[in-house]
Amino acid sequence: MQSANMLLRKIVRSSVLPFAAQHGMKKDLFPLSRTLSLSLCLKQDKSREPSEKLDLDEWKKVMKSGLQEEVSETVSEPKELSGLAAARETLEMWRLAGRAVPENISEEELKTFMECPSKSAKKKYLKYLHLKELHKKNDKRKMREKRERRLEDQASKTDETKKNSFLCMWSSTMDKAYNWRAAQSMIFGQPLVFDMSYEKEMSLREVTNTVRQIVLSESCNRRSADPFHIHFCNFKDDSLYHREFVKQYREAWGRLLVTVTDQCYTELFPKDKLIYLTADSPKVMKTFDHDKIYIVGSMVDKSIKTGVSLARAKRLGLETAALPLEKYLLWSTGAKNLTLDQMMHILLTLKDTADWKKALEFVPKRKYCDFVNKPVKELKKTLDLINTLKLGKGREEGQKQFAKSYPKKYKLK
Amino acid sequence: VQPPEKPLQAEEWNKLREDFQSPEIFEEVMLNSMIRCNSPIDVAKSLLTHLAKRDGDIAYNVLVKYLTLCVQQGQVAEIRDVYDIMKGRFKVLESGAYKLLIRGLSNSDQWRMALTLLEEVKKMMIPSRTCYESCIKAAGRHQEMKLAFELYDEMLAKDVVPTLDVLQSFFDFSRGMKDAELQKELFGILLYLRENQIYPHKTFMRSIKLWFESIPGGNWRGHLTNIKDSGQCPVCNHQLEDSNLTEEEYSNLSERIIRDVIHGTDTFRKTSPQEFEAFQTFVENRLPFDIVIDGLNVSHIKSRRMQCENLFDAVNCLAKENTRLLVLGRKHMLMNSSNWKREIMKEMQNKADFFFAENISEDDAFLLYATLRSGKHCKFVTRDFLRDHKACLPNSLTRHLFRKWQRGHQIAFSPSAEGRSINFSSVFSQQPAFRYDCVVQTTGDTWHIPYKDVFEEKYSYQVPRKWLCIQQK
Repeated sequence: MQSANMLLRKIVRSSVLPFAAQHGMKKDLFPLSRTLSLSLCLKQDKSREPSEKLDLDEWKKVMKSGLQEEVSETVSEPKELSGLAAARETLEMWRLAGRAVPENISEEELKTFMECPSKSAKKKYLKYLHLKELHKKNDKRKMREKRERRLEDQASKTDETKKNSFLCMWSSTMDKAYNWRAAQSMIFGQPLVFDMSYEKEMSLREVTNTVRQIVLSESCNRRSADPFHIHFCNFKDDSLYHREFVKQYREAWGRLLVTVTDQCYTELFPKDKLIYLTADSPKVMKTFDHDKIYIVGSMVDKSIKTGVSLARAKRLGLETAALPLEKYLLWSTGAKNLTLDQMMHILLTLKDTADWKKALEFVPKRKYCDFVNKPVKELKKTLDLINTLKLGKGREEGQKQFAKSYPKKYKLK
Repeated sequence: VQPPEKPLQAEEWNKLREDFQSPEIFEEVMLNSMIRCNSPIDVAKSLLTHLAKRDGDIAYNVLVKYLTLCVQQGQVAEIRDVYDIMKGRFKVLESGAYKLLIRGLSNSDQWRMALTLLEEVKKMMIPSRTCYESCIKAAGRHQEMKLAFELYDEMLAKDVVPTLDVLQSFFDFSRGMKDAELQKELFGILLYLRENQIYPHKTFMRSIKLWFESIPGGNWRGHLTNIKDSGQCPVCNHQLEDSNLTEEEYSNLSERIIRDVIHGTDTFRKTSPQEFEAFQTFVENRLPFDIVIDGLNVSHIKSRRMQCENLFDAVNCLAKENTRLLVLGRKHMLMNSSNWKREIMKEMQNKADFFFAENISEDDAFLLYATLRSGKHCKFVTRDFLRDHKACLPNSLTRHLFRKWQRGHQIAFSPSAEGRSINFSSVFSQQPAFRYDCVVQTTGDTWHIPYKDVFEEKYSYQVPRKWLCIQQK
């Protein structure tokens, strides 16, 4: 202890003490251990001239000295900024402050930003743009790396060109085959209707997402062995849907092998053949019927507007059905409405195999715990276990969840 | 990382930085931990000096972090310096820095500068409520109540919701002042509480009480009390306002319920036009009812018993001399099943009117309609809090009306502890509708202010049972 104190005194005397005295600090404020741990690096610096002092306000001088020239520049600028420029300026400051703000923002995006009704809406929009920018940057970086790698590969291999053309031909043949099947489905296939009448219910972002999901569904339909004949019903020209479709497909939109019509499905098909698929339906689908025409609402509802598509079916007096999710899956979290491409995968699988288990593989894994194939009692145990292990939730929570998913049929006690 | 206790030399900072796992964010992490440990600002200064020497510039976010440290320690001169530097270096500042500057300066003798800064913020955006809070408190602390109220009014005009803290500070700072104008303003705050159905917490209530009692020559006396179920104040024997809506409020509310809750964007979402029309004629032909019962809700009160038995008990309990009952249910109740016995259903239909909605319709909407159509005396029975229906209403004013009406007209049953008895009244305890309105209220020479103990009443449907009674002798 004594030697430690000696060391401490030595150090304090050598460099810190003059400083501490100057700034009116008490040396016994320093806990012993901290000073000791610092002592090592201080010791090494002993060679340095001990008279060197720290000017603590030097940074201010530096910051202010840099200003002189800049100030003269800024003075010439008009002091009051216009709305857009001011917003851009504010965004720049937010970015400097380390908030989730995009580096580059277009005029159009800036206007959308200014039209956001509240502070939180603005924040959300900026975060969205920021993430989008990040993803784009990452994709670009990956592309570049890939290209570089390929160039290196090409340098080493010489007969690459041959293989390439073969690949190319293969994919175009596949395309032809797919289109042939899709064309066949246009004549003989079972119709599947996308109801495009929800534009008013959605925000611009939701419409974009909807169209994106439909594009995915269409492509997986085209690739299947026995595609549906897809109908876009209630489709208005020049609607938001239309504009988004053109944005996604570009010139391929005109060549798409689907039926697009502004008519309602009730005008195209007999009413008793139509079944509206909606998660709110009280009826649960038992089997896939090859003679029926299923309708899927083209709607993404981020704010969970319950009963919108059920209301539509009620108004038209159509039969409705929901997927038997609870019957086959031990549901854990998330809403029971699925994305349009998941619906398409499920319906295609049902059509081909009539196997519910296989079809419901396409429900996202995070939404359910397990398939219902054991006695319910065991399942409940597993669910409890999962909940206590994974989520750290109590036993009660698990039971509540269970009771919610399986209301009356199984008594818990 | 642990910040050092004393200023370091450039080399020492460099060494620390090299030892740190990701040197790019070293300064940020270091400053964050300085803020957390409340390190002396000299240490932070030495870091800034090191940075300035190395890069010839200091990043904005680092400056803001340093500013946070200064504000935390109330280093006013330093705050001003940082402001000058920031102002020279950047064209505009962002809201976070302004918030810090305003907060830091408003606590010092340079508080007027905070006001200038607030003006600067206003040019770009609506200042946050904490900015206003700092300025108002600063003005109040220096007895500039007029200025404080100007800022407060401006805040309300911009739809910025004041914190309870600000409202409380008005009462604290005005204690002992005799000024008719000021008194009017403070009464205005109490009326703001009334209009927005805000209940002050205990310490806030105490500030109000102390202010009233401190008015020179005012002769106000405050007492804490509980109001009886009858609505009479035990201290001053004053009868509180009853919970009835005015004619205008009543018709406004029923119109809104029909338009926004039942029809909404699409009548088919909750019912169908045919069904609603059938229900309307059904109700109009049998008006008025005294009690409307949510049949399905009541039937689930005791899970051990048959659902129709539960409902039967409820109907028997409420069917007294000449009370007109309406029970709302769904069609599946008419199917003979293990839970719904046909004979019991038959017997009940002799005692009350029944309306059965489609199985996929929402019967709650019908419950609201039938009760409102029957008039002010009519009550309804359900344990549902009706939050989803309240949420359908378009603005907070109608939502407040709805809450008030609901408090006055909803009867909720709950199963009591001893369960075996068949006698209904002993099985269920009945929570009566409130007979008085639970808001801040005045008659001129009395004030009654409901308040809550801080950790109590976290649910919006719960109202405080404790009151502050203030009367002028």
